[in-house]
Amino acid sequence: MKVTYNWLKDFVDVDMSAEELAKKLTNAGMEVEEIIYLNKHLHHVVVGKILKIEKHPNADKLQVCKVDVGKEVVQIITSATNIFEGAIVPVSLEGADLINGVKISKSKLRGVESDGMFCSGEELGIDENFMPGASVNGILILPDNFVVGQSIDEALGLNDVVFDVGITPNRPDCMSVIGLAREVCAVTGAKFKKPDLSYKESIIQNDMTVELKSEKCSRYMAAVLKNVKIEKSPLKIRQRLFAVGIKPINTLVDLTNYVLIEMGQPMHAFDQKYIEGKKIVVRDGIAGEKLSVLNHNTYTLNESDLVIADINKPMVIAGVIGGTNSCISNETRDAVIESAVFDLKAIRLTSKKIGVRTDSSARYSKGVYFHSAEDGLKRFLNLISSLELGDICKGIIDENRAVPKTRDVYAKVDDINAILGTAISADDMVRILNSLQIPTKLEGDTIVANIPNFREDLENEYDLAEEVIRIYGYDVYDRGEAREAYLGWKLTQGDYGKKVVLERKIKEGLKYSGFFEAMNYSFIPPDSVSKLMLTDNRRFMIKIANPIGEELSCMRTSLAHSMLSSLAYNFSVGNKEVRLFESGKTFHPKALPLTELPIEINKISMGAYDISFAEFKACVENAVSETSLSYKLVSSKEPFLHPGVSADIVDENGEIYASFGQIHPTVAKNYNIPKTSMFAEIDLDKLLSLPEKKFVVKQVPKFPIVDRDLAIVVKEEISNSDLESAIKSACGKIFYEVKLFDVYRNKALGDGLKSMAYNIRLSNENKTLTDEEVTDTIAKVLKALKFRYGASLR
Amino acid sequence: MEEKLIDILNRAQNELKEISTKDQLVDFKVKFLGKQGELTSVLRGMRDVAPEDRPKIGAMINELREKIENAYAQKEEYFNKLELEKELARGAIDITEPGKNHERGALHPTTRMFNKMIDICVAMGFKVVEGPEIESDYYNFEGLNIPKNHPSRDMQDTFFITENILLRSQTSSVQVRSMETLKPPFKIISPGRVYRNDSDATHSPVFHQLEALVVDQNVSMSDLKTMLTDIMKKIFGEETTIRFRPSFFPFTEPSVEVDVSCPTCNGKGCKVCKGTGFLELLGAGIVNPKVLEMSGIDSKKYRGFAFGFGVDRFAMVYDGITDLRNMFKNDIRFLKQMK
Repeated sequence: MKVTYNWLKDFVDVDMSAEELAKKLTNAGMEVEEIIYLNKHLHHVVVGKILKIEKHPNADKLQVCKVDVGKEVVQIITSATNIFEGAIVPVSLEGADLINGVKISKSKLRGVESDGMFCSGEELGIDENFMPGASVNGILILPDNFVVGQSIDEALGLNDVVFDVGITPNRPDCMSVIGLAREVCAVTGAKFKKPDLSYKESIIQNDMTVELKSEKCSRYMAAVLKNVKIEKSPLKIRQRLFAVGIKPINTLVDLTNYVLIEMGQPMHAFDQKYIEGKKIVVRDGIAGEKLSVLNHNTYTLNESDLVIADINKPMVIAGVIGGTNSCISNETRDAVIESAVFDLKAIRLTSKKIGVRTDSSARYSKGVYFHSAEDGLKRFLNLISSLELGDICKGIIDENRAVPKTRDVYAKVDDINAILGTAISADDMVRILNSLQIPTKLEGDTIVANIPNFREDLENEYDLAEEVIRIYGYDVYDRGEAREAYLGWKLTQGDYGKKVVLERKIKEGLKYSGFFEAMNYSFIPPDSVSKLMLTDNRRFMIKIANPIGEELSCMRTSLAHSMLSSLAYNFSVGNKEVRLFESGKTFHPKALPLTELPIEINKISMGAYDISFAEFKACVENAVSETSLSYKLVSSKEPFLHPGVSADIVDENGEIYASFGQIHPTVAKNYNIPKTSMFAEIDLDKLLSLPEKKFVVKQVPKFPIVDRDLAIVVKEEISNSDLESAIKSACGKIFYEVKLFDVYRNKALGDGLKSMAYNIRLSNENKTLTDEEVTDTIAKVLKALKFRYGASLR
Repeated sequence: MEEKLIDILNRAQNELKEISTKDQLVDFKVKFLGKQGELTSVLRGMRDVAPEDRPKIGAMINELREKIENAYAQKEEYFNKLELEKELARGAIDITEPGKNHERGALHPTTRMFNKMIDICVAMGFKVVEGPEIESDYYNFEGLNIPKNHPSRDMQDTFFITENILLRSQTSSVQVRSMETLKPPFKIISPGRVYRNDSDATHSPVFHQLEALVVDQNVSMSDLKTMLTDIMKKIFGEETTIRFRPSFFPFTEPSVEVDVSCPTCNGKGCKVCKGTGFLELLGAGIVNPKVLEMSGIDSKKYRGFAFGFGVDRFAMVYDGITDLRNMFKNDIRFLKQMK
């Protein structure tokens, strides 16, 4: 919301620097986001009168002018052609710093002294709407009544400051000069000056009627103006609209905008001759009816829209935009002015539906209060009558549902202090609320606030507490005035919860295995399921209705796309030995489109390149080993993993807790990552469902452990885990440990064969093993391996 | 006899000088000091020495043995030392070559800030609760006093899936869920990922929040300030101060924006805080009694306060990260700096 300091001063006597006022407003919750000095580039520019124009002695295109600038007569050299003797013009003198970056100093032009420069409208930062002649290609010729010698910012009314204030949604009343003026009163202690709402009616009778047929409108007021003067508005109106960023157009349009900014009341002007039946009907839209509006579009309406119509046709999409069939023009003689209160939800809905946002719809969408329609209309009529812009017909129309009753909010002084933890006096509370134009008195120990219509946000003691503290100042807590922290707090038990604990353990473990934590959006592109060659129901992703873009439109059903993209990025910039992990959710719809909340699964993904399968595998196994999971590895069927170099971690029921391995060559190609890239996805939620990890601790062996190495030759397809379990069972009771320490392949061994070297460790709980026992056991092992897997001793 | 002894000593000393390997030294020991060595044979010759000369000769022989043994021991030590030096020289490595064990990785800055905040809050008696990221309109908005088509919805651009299902725009949704089941007094924090339809240099459509809620009898804005000051000091250091500025959130009343003294310059004013000495870092307030009532908590008996942090922003301030894009790019050249 933009307001100017001078405009505020119409309603409050305040005299402090703009910075100081801005600080006070911000501290009270009216955040001044920007202070704009309209005259920032207008210093050293004055109103001058050209006394004499002579030809430049040394240049055909230049002229030498004697100019009266008040205190003195200066000489200006110019090439402008639209000047004449007697013209009133803006003159920039030494020291000026114009908006286009031009800095003025005395200089010689072709041997003749020049004290400065004449200015165009553009060089002053104004245009034709602000002042006629401001957009011509040449010098701005000012009106004759401008005072010679006056500084240009004063002359143009630009010696003003604009505050751009961020208004929170609970304070629609502050989307107006008058609303902010009330806040200024409260923060400065200055007195509030009510706006002038008086106006003079003519003897002409009002010849319009209004019928209120929709629940979406609680009040519809209208005034009829005859013999309206549609012309350029007075300079002051134009200055102020210009300052707050509204383009001045003509008297009627400008005044509706002026009242919108000043009073916060949107208005609409009709050309009366187009209103058939001299009757305004406020009704719901009829499905299928069409209206062409001022933005050159035509919209089809329905019952959810509110329409301002006459007896035959819709004329306005209420609160949003006017139709071309009834708008005012330069030829308008008689006008009807609307000032109404519409339901904010209805206006929001329509504005959103047709995608049209106007100053009016923005204002209505935040809420316009009942009395605003009346105050706004009266202020408008006050301006019409004081500026003599037309005859106001007798009797303004006021159709409404019911005048809202005033209400009192009661709050105990002690309760307010208890909410705030303060010791603010009852007197201070009453004073603050009254300064906000909320008539308040103290009854015993209770504050009674008579809530004005414009403060519908105030309902209870919490609301009053906020009003009190924001004006009293939150620095109360820094001044030692507030009470000590409440010591009666019930002691509560802190709790991380299982998930945070396990997730942290796994993350820390991965960190020490050299993995860096990645973070990706949860959104992935629709084609990612094809890039990953997914075949199961992970293809069915939840789509966002209003995504940032197609690339970010689906909720991920696997962390793979995100991780492979992160690997691809690192690979593309030449990063080596990349190891990443990510913790995040995947989203699985029960049905599409969603009718209920989907299933969300906490997962951890890992991705790496320049790493061996063996090392990657160890990292994955370490991660799941944070839990009580007892698992085995089986070949994985993940479509995006290499079918021969991937595994699932499963429990005895075949439940998959994690899948990992080398990326499928096709997928590696799709993502442009190294062929030997590794990926893992761990289901954190499944791990969380496991019982707590418990250990069954056995005695450390009392008798020495005996080591034997055994190298055998077997067919390629025989797996290590099969061989290990065969070794274990063959060793029987004295088995202690077995470890594969070497795998060897060589033509000499024969095709399709490999040599596997095991370190077998044996131990007896009760005695030292004899050589004989050991030799026998190893022979048994070899026999078993021969028998079951065709192994031969190497 | 004496001559013979002198001759042995001379020869032994000369031979010892010539010895250049440990093997030669062993041979030497055998030759002079061994069981069949020259000294032993001299001793055997004592029989032929006149009895009166025996003590003298005996003493000479002992002296001789001692001399040879000492010389031998010296030489042996010389060889041992030489060997050790050789071994040490052989074992020396280039200590500037990189270590072999894989270098450690690092947690994401946001995670580290989450951990820090959660640790602080749990120690203060907060319980961690989590909720779904795809949420119903009720828990994200209506239950927080943000009705449909209400102006306060404009404060956030929300991602919608359907009319009533959306990506949560705040973790306050978890608080509504929790209030329905928990019995006051309680203290909870809800860390998690949130989504807003806003993407530019300073806004990420995905970011992370940690929201805290305290419901107890007779808690106040002053308590909120005390607790928040304490938490901020624990995050950014003992000299940290905070200040409240009035604001508006539909679920708190009164509502405040909380400015935290800039940890980069300690409030003196710098580039990070644009010279103000403070950073706008979080929102807080007394829980709107309507919100308590909607969740079935008696607002006459209990009062609550709540505060919410933007964790990514905290992490950026804490680690001096200036470009938001780095947070989701996963470039290890960035992540490695946090090792």
